[in-house]
Amino acid sequence: MKRTLPLLLSAALILAFAQAAMSQQDIKNLAPEAFGKLTRPAAQFNHEQHNEKAGLTDCVVCHHGGKDGKIDKTASTEGTPCAECHKVKPEDKSTGLMNAYHKQCISCHKAKGKGPVACGQCHKR
Amino acid sequence: MNAAYQFVTGPLAWAAWGIFLLGSGYRLISMYQLAKTKDATSIAFMSWHFSLRSIVNWLIPFNALGWRKSPVMTVATFVFHACLFLTPIFLVAHMLLWNQAFGVSFATIPDNAADIMTLVVIAACLYFAGRRLVQPEVRYITSGKDWLALVIVLAPFLTGFLAYHQAISYNAMIILHVVAGEIMLAAIPFTRLSHMVFAAFTRAYMGSEFGGVRHARDW
Repeated sequence: MKRTLPLLLSAALILAFAQAAMSQQDIKNLAPEAFGKLTRPAAQFNHEQHNEKAGLTDCVVCHHGGKDGKIDKTASTEGTPCAECHKVKPEDKSTGLMNAYHKQCISCHKAKGKGPVACGQCHKR
Repeated sequence: MNAAYQFVTGPLAWAAWGIFLLGSGYRLISMYQLAKTKDATSIAFMSWHFSLRSIVNWLIPFNALGWRKSPVMTVATFVFHACLFLTPIFLVAHMLLWNQAFGVSFATIPDNAADIMTLVVIAACLYFAGRRLVQPEVRYITSGKDWLALVIVLAPFLTGFLAYHQAISYNAMIILHVVAGEIMLAAIPFTRLSHMVFAAFTRAYMGSEFGGVRHARDW
């Protein structure tokens, strides 16, 4: 009886760590290196889970093309990192990297009435 | 959640700003009308020189006799009012909301500084509350309206602090925070918070009477 409690506790601890280690691989954050030091915790985004939930099969919905500040919804750019086109501090009128993420995610979530819209819903501590 | 968030950050925000701006204008005009009918002489002796002299002298900490008489309150109120305005206006997250809605962009303060400034506002509110309970001369003139104003101001900072740290329930807290801020804005013209609109005129009135009628300082 004396040993049951420590045994149970250690079992729980091992399970907890194992679970954390396993789920670590699944969690995907939007933290491109271009940002450098982040102001808020990286936005949580699991690519596969998101597309499954949102019923997205067409990459171009998010991975759009375009130039001169105009989005081209026909030119797909999957595989190209957002930061390649959207600079952190753009010198011309193009959309900055942070704004690109915010606009892309929030405006769609607002239009669909689903998905995170407030700061802390993505930038989880 | 999305519908609620969009409602409080959309139509409700417009309503709050509308009530704040139009209400403040209404209060200023109606107060001027009242002064014209009930205290016409006061308008006659209003002077830019004595008004500005009084305002400037009261804006300097420990300059006015009233400030020197209660040093703790002086520090508390100056720090409180500075943080009360600077924190919400220059918060990164708030600027980004302006940016998303209207495309405007301006300088911001770091989040950890804003965090401390929020705690300063909360601490100052607690000090003001304690003062109203403990100090006899303040307690004597304290009414429900004073407590209401204090709670209205405390609420957005307390909920904002909890939402930022994602304590308790973030989704509930962020909605509460937005609503608390909107209540504060809308309450400015119609509660004790109206001193935001009237303070300069109160000071100008006192300064003008002391300067032009009594030939004395009012600080």
